[in-house]
Amino acid sequence: MDENKVIICRCEDVTLKEIRDAIREGFTTVEEIKRVTRSGMGPCQGKTCGLLIAKEISQMTGKPMEEIELQSIRPPYGGITFEEVTKGTVMENDK
Amino acid sequence: MSKIQNLELLVVGGGPAGLSAALAAANYGIKVSLSEEREFLGGQLIKQTHRFFGSEKEYAGTRGIDILKKLIDEVNKNNNIEVLLSSRVLGIYEDNIVTILNDHKMKKYYPQSIIFATGASEKFLAFENNDLPGIFGAGAVQTLMNVYGVLPATNVLMIGSGNIGLIVSYQLLQAGVKVAAIVEAAPKIGGYSVHASKLRRLGVPILTSHTIKKAIGKEKVEGAVICELDSNWNEVKGTEQLIKCDAICLSVGLTPLVDLLKQRKVKTTYVSELGGYVPLRDENMETSIKNLFVAGDVSGIEEATAAMIEGQIAGLSVAKRIGKNSKDEIEERIEEAKNELELLRSGPVGKKIRKGLSKLGLNHGKNYNEKFSEEALDISHLMKTGVPSEENLKNKLPSEEKVFDKGPIAISECFQRFPCDPCVKSCLFNAISENANINNIPYVDFEKCTGCGICVSKCPGLAMFVIHKNFSETTSVVIMPYEFLPRPHKGEIVKVFDREGKYLCDGKVIRILDGKFQDKTAAVSIEIPKEYYLQARNFKVEEGNHG
Repeated sequence: MDENKVIICRCEDVTLKEIRDAIREGFTTVEEIKRVTRSGMGPCQGKTCGLLIAKEISQMTGKPMEEIELQSIRPPYGGITFEEVTKGTVMENDK
Repeated sequence: MSKIQNLELLVVGGGPAGLSAALAAANYGIKVSLSEEREFLGGQLIKQTHRFFGSEKEYAGTRGIDILKKLIDEVNKNNNIEVLLSSRVLGIYEDNIVTILNDHKMKKYYPQSIIFATGASEKFLAFENNDLPGIFGAGAVQTLMNVYGVLPATNVLMIGSGNIGLIVSYQLLQAGVKVAAIVEAAPKIGGYSVHASKLRRLGVPILTSHTIKKAIGKEKVEGAVICELDSNWNEVKGTEQLIKCDAICLSVGLTPLVDLLKQRKVKTTYVSELGGYVPLRDENMETSIKNLFVAGDVSGIEEATAAMIEGQIAGLSVAKRIGKNSKDEIEERIEEAKNELELLRSGPVGKKIRKGLSKLGLNHGKNYNEKFSEEALDISHLMKTGVPSEENLKNKLPSEEKVFDKGPIAISECFQRFPCDPCVKSCLFNAISENANINNIPYVDFEKCTGCGICVSKCPGLAMFVIHKNFSETTSVVIMPYEFLPRPHKGEIVKVFDREGKYLCDGKVIRILDGKFQDKTAAVSIEIPKEYYLQARNFKVEEGNHG
């Protein structure tokens, strides 16, 4: 199998080779791999790659899946413009 | 200072679980706000054109899209429910403030309780060239076809034989798309056998113990290389074969969509039986955060029927806590719903779910009647191939040949234990029984059966047939369910096939029942040479015959 041709993170175009290299370098949590490869930082927020990366870590390190955490997920869930943020807030002066 | 709106109950997600949760709570006077990110309600039900399994009480035998209409109608009529469409929940914070993007504004809410019914997302698969255009998730294919009326391709290779893979394959065929094959890595078919049999009768190969190695193509998918797997899931050398196709459809499972739960730091744990990372929760669907409930696929992957019942339990639990009156009545209804769930999960197909739940410390399997958790028949051949064995068939056919002499009789070709009863409930003569448990296999009492054919249109698995062996000196008639277009004309000659999709003989259409009652599953009577009455189980209408 050509690891360079297997895409794990479709949003950020991260390949299986890049994920495996990161694990070999010692990055063995999904959160760390997200930071060094950008996987999971695209619009889908890791819904495609998160589980695949966790499985890859489990296979390469021998750690059971139950001991592997997904990456942190913070608000906002999905893209939003600054205009949308400020419009939704009723300021005291506005009244 | 920002204005924050107080809410009694916020339900996130307008699918079967969310709608049921909103209704259950609103019916006890709770003010509910239902937030749905799309511009319409329904979740996955919006594309489910097939009939549902399960108990009649939970809409079994009804098509997903029709269940949806009923639920939406009830929601719209309920004055206690405010529906927020095109409203994406963006965040939930430690103080339980929820932000929702609605009408291009980020608004803040402070709900007393929340039910997350956010559903699931599809799993993806790692193989070479898995980013080529033409590689779809099964859900996307179903949305394209059944919601937007767009054909995704002309010849599809399906990866995965769970119920979604099987159902979407069937719907592709209904839409006129060829399905090259269904590839399954496990040694047996993942979905219900009746769905698999339906596809085999239509000539679709199901390759168990096979996997996809790579997609082929320059600009887009032109084919795929698949290979066989041994009992240790390792590739068997020299078994590679090229399958030509213009799309690859991935149906390799769902995983709970726990993103919002993780924002609120709800405890989650990995349970493979439930599809991935799932929230810890109690039997009333409450998570590790007080007043924060879950329902449906986000709490573990199951069928829509289970999602609706879980929604009820969550909604009722909120009503019980907030409401001042009718606590005993609510408690009673919660118990009823829990019993219903238990029944649904008590058969062999519920085994995986039960194992997963026990890992969460729920149910411990103690309530389950183990008698129903094993298959009544040896269906290993059926689950490997989609075709029932001679032995299986012998079990469901009359023990004596002379029974066929009495006239037309219904034959049930349902061999697997799972919770389903529309055939039993549809029979006006009480001729079909599953012996007091919805998980049992139905048997026909040939003495009582009149061969009327009502059950042929009612079975969601298309596993009911009527056979009139001695229709004439030389011919028999088989009534078969038919869900394709164009419909045959009376008197038309059609090609008749067996359970493996092999051509048997030509047959003559002598009657078509295709009214409102049949609800688009026509019961078509085909006259065939007598020697084939035990084999003829499908037919195709020749293209050119219809102008």
